[in-house]
Amino acid sequence: MKKASIIPVAVVALTALAFATVNAYRVPTVEHSFVDARPATVATVEYTVEGLKCRGTSLGFARQIAGVPGIVSLTTYARTRTGVVEYDPTLTDPEAIREAFERPIVQDGKSYDVFRMLSARVID
Amino acid sequence: MRALRTIFHLAVLGGAVALLARGMNGLTPNTCETYCPFGGVAALYSLIRYRGYTCALSEMNVAMLVSLVVLTLVAKKSFCSWVCPLGTLQEWLGRLGRRVFGRWFRIPDGIDAWLIGLRYVALVLVLGLTWTVWQGDLGFRAYDPFYILFTWGGHETLRLSFLIVVGVLGIALVVPFFWCRYLCPLGAVMDPLSRFGALRIRRDSGTCIDCGVCDAVCPHRIPVSSVEEVTARNCTNCLECVVECPEEGALSISLCGK
Repeated sequence: MKKASIIPVAVVALTALAFATVNAYRVPTVEHSFVDARPATVATVEYTVEGLKCRGTSLGFARQIAGVPGIVSLTTYARTRTGVVEYDPTLTDPEAIREAFERPIVQDGKSYDVFRMLSARVID
Repeated sequence: MRALRTIFHLAVLGGAVALLARGMNGLTPNTCETYCPFGGVAALYSLIRYRGYTCALSEMNVAMLVSLVVLTLVAKKSFCSWVCPLGTLQEWLGRLGRRVFGRWFRIPDGIDAWLIGLRYVALVLVLGLTWTVWQGDLGFRAYDPFYILFTWGGHETLRLSFLIVVGVLGIALVVPFFWCRYLCPLGAVMDPLSRFGALRIRRDSGTCIDCGVCDAVCPHRIPVSSVEEVTARNCTNCLECVVECPEEGALSISLCGK
């Protein structure tokens, strides 16, 4: 039965390996560009957002911020509830973007609070 | 080894329940499907089509799938008997059913062979619909007992969904591992790899007394007493045959035939 202990060891080791290497497979849930030509200056802010949990909600998030002047691109990672937004700092700022995605979504006459910022980090 | 497997069962099942409780209280966006290796199979469509993930699939599903492939090549379908929480529930219900009814109901061999093919039909249907009609959406959630049970009726579940869970678990009382044996699409994915699994049960025909206990206790109906080495795709290395064998040394574990 000594060789049988390979099974639990393999299960634990491979599960640990999956968790340890998961970021090596990191692929965005959604990558969306809002502009044809990038502006001269671009800043980046990374939000952690409650409600950002899949491709569908990522596209909803994109629709929420699409109307903000100066938005350049959006990249989301649903597993970590992360939305990385590139913007033109001469036209908008992280607070205006937050206000845009946190505004309620009206559907069939009802209002839904879908997204709520948990944290924000200006990258550059 | 049986005790160790029970510890694994309790740990995984406990983890699934804890995840469910955390999700219900808004403490995590993750659900059981975040860690499901079958999600990695379903994600292939969106990775190729959108270079991204659909629904709630992520790189975690892909990482789990890669681990599952390696595990299956090492230890056959050990995932099913050591990790899968739905497999655990079915195993426990099967034991309970055997205690209550005194035996397992055995589907006749001819029908059993036909029914086993259903899991390939399930795999083709699930992937086919996911990659075409559902356009990458996980439409099968409503019919997936693992998802329905461990999200406690999560997103996209229907009234029918709960009937499916009750049916699958109810049948497991009389037909052990009904879902795993006949319908699990992840099992179908593992089948071709499982044949090559390096860790196998080996029978020493010189020591074996041909009592047939191994055949009787195998929940996957593998005729252990009639082979030298168990290469059957359905073997989950649950080791019940080794534990129950009355003749020491008649059954052992071999690694790459040694």
